[in-house]
Order: sequence, then structure tokens, then C-alpha cells
Amino acid sequence: MTRFAAELVTALVTLALGAAVVTGSLEYGIGWTEGGPQPGAFPFYVGVLVAAASAGNVLLALRKRRPSAGFVAPEQARRIAAFGLPLLGFVALALLLGFYVATAAYLAGVMRFQGRYRIASCIAVGVGTSAFFFVVLEVWFKVPLLKGPLEAFVRLH
Amino acid sequence: MANVESLLHGFAVALSGYHVLLMVVGVLLGILVGVLPGLGAPNGVTLLLPLTFGMNPVSAIILLTSMYWGALFGGSTTSILFNIPGEPSSVATTFDGYPLARSGKPAQALTLAFLSAAFGALVGVMLITLLSSWAADFALKFGPPEYFAVYFLAFASFVGLGGAAPLKTLVSMGLGLALATVGMDTISGSLRLTFGFDVLVSGVSFLVAVIGLFGLGELLISMEEGLRFAGLKARISPRAVLETIRAMPRYWIALVRGSAIGCWMGITPGGPTAASFMSYGLAKRFSKRGRSFGTGEPEGIVSPETADHAAGTSAMLPMLALGVPGSATSAVMLGGLMIWGLNPGPTLFVDRPDFVWGLIASMYVANIVAVVLVLSTVPIFAAILRVPFAIIGPMIVVVCFIGAYTVAGSKPDLLFAVLFGIAGYMFKKLDYPIAPLVLAMVLGDKAEDAFRQSMIVSQGSLAIFWSNPLVTTLTVIALLLLCWPTIARAMRAFVPVRRPADTFEE
Repeated sequence: MTRFAAELVTALVTLALGAAVVTGSLEYGIGWTEGGPQPGAFPFYVGVLVAAASAGNVLLALRKRRPSAGFVAPEQARRIAAFGLPLLGFVALALLLGFYVATAAYLAGVMRFQGRYRIASCIAVGVGTSAFFFVVLEVWFKVPLLKGPLEAFVRLH
Repeated sequence: MANVESLLHGFAVALSGYHVLLMVVGVLLGILVGVLPGLGAPNGVTLLLPLTFGMNPVSAIILLTSMYWGALFGGSTTSILFNIPGEPSSVATTFDGYPLARSGKPAQALTLAFLSAAFGALVGVMLITLLSSWAADFALKFGPPEYFAVYFLAFASFVGLGGAAPLKTLVSMGLGLALATVGMDTISGSLRLTFGFDVLVSGVSFLVAVIGLFGLGELLISMEEGLRFAGLKARISPRAVLETIRAMPRYWIALVRGSAIGCWMGITPGGPTAASFMSYGLAKRFSKRGRSFGTGEPEGIVSPETADHAAGTSAMLPMLALGVPGSATSAVMLGGLMIWGLNPGPTLFVDRPDFVWGLIASMYVANIVAVVLVLSTVPIFAAILRVPFAIIGPMIVVVCFIGAYTVAGSKPDLLFAVLFGIAGYMFKKLDYPIAPLVLAMVLGDKAEDAFRQSMIVSQGSLAIFWSNPLVTTLTVIALLLLCWPTIARAMRAFVPVRRPADTFEE
């Protein structure tokens, strides 16, 4: 991916967001009523600002186009994937099984498959961190985290 | 001297055992997030904020601000020992800090940085002590048009002084304002910009945005560069500290200049990052030893550090007196104030003097606590960075997502955090500034309310923004700042300025 493509895509995405804000606020009226500006007025002009500035960025990107400028080298893309994919897996797992199980699995998994640590230390760090968060959040600060079937099972039996 | 009396009352609040303990905890956590890549002051404070919902506001703000000071110090530690800025605002410290540390004087580099930082912070707090109640009195006269003009001024100064491409700043700010309008409209009660999605009804939390944009985005950037920490070892002896203290007066010009730049950039929302670069750039240009900058010149450490911390502390002044934060971190704290049920702005000085003066007094104490702690714990925190990234990286990820969840206990917030993380990564890589987005998200509602109330008063005429000398002055300054990039370019075309090679360019 070149820098030019990245600039262009980002500017087009923000342009689309600006356009979405504009159309979204038209729904609520952008004019004037007895009680002042209608609810859509402020977001409408903000949307126009975003869209206009994004259009300017598109033009700047086209004008300053330098084909040689890279955005992400293959090696960097690999590193991002190696970090980002387990991260997404963690989020999915947290939504399904709760934070505590997901934290233990994620930490142990990354340590095992990317850090090549011994299985015992992976499990120790994973479970230990999870337990640490449990003590700090649930016990100490009384802030409940998302829990899953395991916690429900432990509590019932 | 009503201020002095109020300040003494503040010290009575701040110096209780519980609060000093909170300062120690806050500073240590702050150094930790400052040292860790991907976690900085804005998202450190954000992550801690949900845990303070049940606390008394005075204790909560002392904890959060102490974390801020700690983070500012922690960021400098990694800059000097690892050549990796732990915070964006300590990038300029790497230029001379790392070379000096590598040349065999890591202890001198660190103490120099910490002491000048403390000096800058102290000047910032003194400025707040002297000016805040005066500024608040002044601001009590503000009506909606003046408030809107002040918000406009804050936004405009990002465009004018932020240093990033003006159009990109506008996009970032506009997106923040748009995100702030999502959900329930406080005036009409209608749901706006939800596009039929139920998850958008309650709006998009700026705290989740900060965690994604600053935390996850920054982590992705660090990962891409392939983190390998080959840091220098440092242990700081009391003798090294004393020697540096003795040497400090030599750098008085850099200290004064750095403080002045920092205070100015902190009050106008230029922020600590811009302040430290500006201070470094000016020092390099005007110092007699300008040529040796970049090779481990002490003045090259003193200048950015003083400005960084002066800006960090003085950013609290507009936040307290006007309710307009001067940096991303103080924007988060402003959001915290609203969550704790306080009404930020001049009325706070009247309604909750214990809060305001307790906070100001705690800034004196916490900065001293921070210097002592950071000097004595450098080896420990440097050791944390030597923990392999396969362990520490995922832990930071877990902390970020737990933080995003605890903001409101909502599942969709986790997905928002991911989206903001991707946006943060792209924005960082393409030099879109992120702080304006956060500031706009926090201030968006208030700015809109002020605008609508002004319009109601004036029956829809924009002329209300130049209807009296005060609001006219504010509007004119704001417009000048907004057009500053264009004005500066025009001026350069007429008056060719000699540009020293490789000055600061963000």
C-alpha cells in the first residue's frame, strides 16, 4: 500500500462520514424555529465542515502524489497482523466467555505461540494476571467486569 | 491576598494522609503508563477514571492529576534511557537526552530532565495560583456568546498553533464535534445521528474514543516498528542529584524561556507536545551552544522538559476557570468532573472552593512527590521495559479493553474501541492530530449549547459574536488563529525568513 492510497482512502472515508452527518441531520431540520435553531442545524454545519475539509485533503493527496512513498512495508504488515489478529480474538472471546477467561487465554496463547515460553509459565502468567484483575476490580473497587459461562458455573455449584 | 488564604485551606485538604497516599499511588501508576509504550497520560487517566466514580471528587481529582504528573515524568525516562518517547510530549527530550545518557552520563541526563520538569511544573502551578480566581471572576461575566467565542478560540488555536496540516486538524475536530452530537439532544430531546442503531442512542463515549485512539492506535504503531528495547542502565545517586542541582542556575535562560513557552501553550490549547518542540527549536536557534544541540547538550534537555511540564500544569488553568481544557489529558479530566457531578467553569470557584484549592495545593505537593519518586524508582521502571513485549504488549491490550468496558459496562464499547484504534493508527500514520478530536468530543455539547443559546438571544443573527468589546476581542483572536497558517504563509512570501536546518517540524 502506498502513502498516496492511504491518504486517499482516509480522506474519502472522512468525506463519507461528513456526508453521513449532513444527511443524518437533515432529518431533524436545519432551519430556524420559534425556540431557536432546529436540532439538526449544528451537526449539519459540522458535517459540511468535515466534508469540505476532507474534499480538500483528497485534492491535496492528488496534488502531492509521490508514487515512491510507502505506507506499510510487508514486514510491518506482518507485525501488525501478528499483533492485531490475536487482539481481535481476545475481544471476541471476551464478548463470548467474559473478560477473565479471555484474559487468561489471550496472554497464555500469545506467550506460547509468539514468545515461545514454556507452557507452565504461560498458564501461570495468564491465570495470575486474570486473578489480579479480579481482585483489583471486583473485590477492591467493586467494579463488575463482563463475565461468562465459567463464572456462572462456579457460582452455581 | 485572598488567594494565599484559599491556598492554605487547600493545603489543609491536600496534605491529609489519605490524599498524600493517593498522590503516591497516582504518581507511581502515572510513571508506569508513561514508561509503557501505547499507554500515555490521556489514556492512563481515562483507564483510571471509571474506578473513581465512587470516590469523593477532591480525592478523585488528586489521584488523576497525580497520575498525569507521573506520566509526564515517566515519558521522559524512556526518552532518555531507551531513545523511545513514552509520551508524544517527550519526543524532543530524546534529541539530547539519549545522546547524553549514551555518553556515560545517564544519571545526569535524568536528573537534569526531572529537575527542569519540576521547575516548569512549579511555574505552571504558581501561575494557576495567581491567575485562576481572577480568571474565574472574569469568566463569571461570560454569557453564552462569550462562551461560544472561547470554545471557538480553543478550536481555532488547534488549527493555528497545533502544527499539523490545517485541513487535517479541521477534519479531526469536526469528527469530534459530530460524534459529540450523536444520541440524545439535551435541548430538544430528540435522538440525533443514530441512523437507526440502538447502540448509538446513548451516544459515543469520549473515554472509549481516547482508549482506542491513543491507546490501541499507539500500540499498533509501536508494534509495526518492531519493539526492541535496548536501554541504558541507570542508577541515580544522591551525589549526582546534588551536582545537577548546583548546575541548574547555569541554565536559567532555558528554564525561564521554557516556562514561558509552556505556560502560554498550556493556556491556549497548544498542548505540551507543541510546547516542548517549540521550546527546543527556539533554544537551538538562540542559544550560544545551539551548534552542539543533538549531541547531548544539557540545555537541549532542560528546554523541552521545562516547557512540557509547564504546559501540562498550566493546561489546568483554563480547565478550572473556564471549563475549556488546554490538553487532551485535561479534556479527559474535564469529562471526569462532569461525571462526578461537578459543573466545570467559573462557578466551581464559588460552589466548591475546597475542590478547586485542594486540587491546586495538591499540584504543589504531588509534583514534589513525583520528583522524589521518579528519581528513586528509575531502575525499577527501566526494568519493566525489559520484560519481553510478548508479555507486556497483550497485558496493555487487556488493560485498554477492560478500561473501555468499565466506562459504562457496555459490550458495544469494546467494538467502538477497536474502531477507534484503527482510526487512531491511520490518523497517526497520516499526521492527523488526535487531540483536537478528543477535545471536540468533550466540548462539543457545551459549544453547541452556547451557540444555540446565543442564537436564541440574538434571534438568529451571528452579529452577537461581535456585539460587545469582550466577545469581539475573543472572536477576532480566534479568527486570527484560525487563519494563522495562511497569514504565516503570506508573511513568509513577503519577508523571506532564514530557516535554520532541521528545526522542529512535527
